[in-house]
Amino acid sequence: MSSTLTETAPGRSAPRAGRGASRRTKRSGPRRVSPLILAFVLVPFAVEAVWVFWPALQGFWLALTSWDGLSAPRFVGFGNFGDMVSDPIFRTALKNTAIWLVLFGGLSVVGGFGMALLLQRERRGVGIYRAALFTPVVFSLVVTALIWRVFYQPDGLVDTVLRTVGLGNFIRPWLADPDTALYAVILPALWRQIGYVMVLYLAGLKAVDPALYEAAKVDGASAWQRTRYVTIPQLKGVNSVVLSVIVIDSLRSFDIVWSMTRGGPYHSSELLSTYMYSTAFQSTQLGYASAIAVVIFVLALAVILGYLIRAFREEA
Amino acid sequence: MTGLAADRRTFLKGLGLLGAAALVPGCATSTNSPGSGSAATGQLALQSNLSSEQAKAAMEKLVAAYNKTGGSQVKLNTVAAEIFRTQLPTYLTSANPPDVYTWYAGSVADSYAKKDLLLDVSGVWDSMGNYPKSMQTLSTSSAGQKIFVPTSYYWWGMFYRKSNFEKWGVTPPKTWAEFLQVCKTIQGKGIPPIGIGLGDTPWVASAWFDYLNIRINGAPFHRQLLAGQGRFDDPKVKAVFTKWREALPYFDPKGKSFPFQEATSALLAGKTGMFLIGTFFADSAPKDALDDIDFFQFPIIDPAVPVAEEAPTDGYFASKKAKDPDGVKKFMTWLATPEAQEIYVQSSSGTAIPANPDGKSADTPLVKKGKAMIESAAELTQFFNRDSSDALQPTADAALTKFLDKPDQIDQILKDWQAAADKVFKA
Repeated sequence: MSSTLTETAPGRSAPRAGRGASRRTKRSGPRRVSPLILAFVLVPFAVEAVWVFWPALQGFWLALTSWDGLSAPRFVGFGNFGDMVSDPIFRTALKNTAIWLVLFGGLSVVGGFGMALLLQRERRGVGIYRAALFTPVVFSLVVTALIWRVFYQPDGLVDTVLRTVGLGNFIRPWLADPDTALYAVILPALWRQIGYVMVLYLAGLKAVDPALYEAAKVDGASAWQRTRYVTIPQLKGVNSVVLSVIVIDSLRSFDIVWSMTRGGPYHSSELLSTYMYSTAFQSTQLGYASAIAVVIFVLALAVILGYLIRAFREEA
Repeated sequence: MTGLAADRRTFLKGLGLLGAAALVPGCATSTNSPGSGSAATGQLALQSNLSSEQAKAAMEKLVAAYNKTGGSQVKLNTVAAEIFRTQLPTYLTSANPPDVYTWYAGSVADSYAKKDLLLDVSGVWDSMGNYPKSMQTLSTSSAGQKIFVPTSYYWWGMFYRKSNFEKWGVTPPKTWAEFLQVCKTIQGKGIPPIGIGLGDTPWVASAWFDYLNIRINGAPFHRQLLAGQGRFDDPKVKAVFTKWREALPYFDPKGKSFPFQEATSALLAGKTGMFLIGTFFADSAPKDALDDIDFFQFPIIDPAVPVAEEAPTDGYFASKKAKDPDGVKKFMTWLATPEAQEIYVQSSSGTAIPANPDGKSADTPLVKKGKAMIESAAELTQFFNRDSSDALQPTADAALTKFLDKPDQIDQILKDWQAAADKVFKA
């Protein structure tokens, strides 16, 4: 047995060597990588490593500690995660984040897609509408928050409008009432996000081959059927982009909530992100805050990975 | 063509170098805090959180005056108060920290002394023999070292417009019963009697808790409670809220929506009757309206309890790692002098009172009255966060704003507050 093996081995290795040699000649070009290209890879990698990977790793480590920012971190294992289970504010924040994901994410997709369908055809003045819807995206969210706070303030625009149409009874301290605060913040966030999602879908719609619509029309498809069976399947690629954008934007939503309510009144509009910030920098419980950050990361990863895996499977 | 390519290559190489150059100081900031640029001796870095326009200008004047005296050159670095607060631990624990910091006396300073991060400034206190005992106590760490130099303080009171009180036919009340009567009268005129500003500034509600607690249970109980030696679900604490509830119908319902600056405008515009606030509100008030402003002491509830007042004290402390401790102490000794404090007080909004008893405060009836009230008080407290910690403040904000909204749930609120406070004290 051994002899045959030794005999066949060189025989087999010969063509392999040949193949290897041919590969080597092919490779010889890229192997002498110019230092410039190396620099292009390594410099961003080093930057990323210092500012992204290393802090992220440290974040995971801090999540397992109790740390006030002053003394040395004390290792507590999964104690922070255990505390979350019994923390009523964390539960509120988690629930609010879920509401935010569904309402903010869902409505901005529906709204953005609807607006894109409405505004996709080149008509006179359509550019004005598109620009108007896109304008809020240009504003910083903090500016958006300021504008909306003026709307919501007592005797502000919202109250005046409600009073003129005879709905004065509905007036509340919008941002100070725990029942309305979260929704009062979602609205301006949507106001901005719909324009953004609309632009993504408009780009997607432009890429759909008009011949498909022609064919569908010839086959007698109604407008609804053309949307359902031509437009929507054609937008699959855009959908995955939109989904990632929406999930990430929902989970990292912070600025608008912070500048409008700071998670208040008494934590009723708290999101995981605002709760993370306030535990880290107001209560200086940096270990616990890092644990919340890990939860946010896992949630984002789970949602996006779940979708991507399904999308790839369908393609394969 | 080749020339062009070479040009591009050198350009790109340059870019790479730039990137690397940007990277190096980036690494450095992970150990050094920003703003600590005084490597050379003879230079002190002063980190200030007094970022409002008037206060910042006053600080610049103060530093310029010291730099003329020929000691070390002080470099002022002003940072927004909120950033300063969150970054202070980072400053103090960094390898090369700024030398001197604006901060508050009391437990918020002591918490850093407990971590052994502050410079012992007992030497500075040798020149401060005329300071009252209360200031000494406030500036002493739990280990018995002097770690703080107070330079000014202000007071809290129930502010109102003299002309409006005249119009409504009410006089400043002295007792709780009189106070409720005044509220009733003002409400009868269709004006919400008590203004408040909780949107964005929920901590303003803590003034009510502090005052009711020191009026009902006394200052020592209040301090112990805030230091974690008491419990918020204690029946004595509940008594505070029972009293507070008597005044709840008189609070301005709109006060939940806007910050204290807008509550100030509401008071000045006659949209509310009175407002429990610190004198810093004057920063956002027009000067002409200030002449019509007066205040009364928070009403007495139990005459048997020694009268205490809130007199938050501001000043400076220094990092233990200061490169030139003698220069730092010299600067702080100067800050403790009446001359230095007058420069600051006169250039800022004018309602702060110099900590040095020989320092002249602004010569207005309002400031004189405030100073007299503080000097006659048997006990002084600072403010909720200053007597406890910045970490405990958010727990109070949540509990108190919820109480103002849902006073029926007081038992649950106090239970939650104690649970949240436990977490802070345990951390």
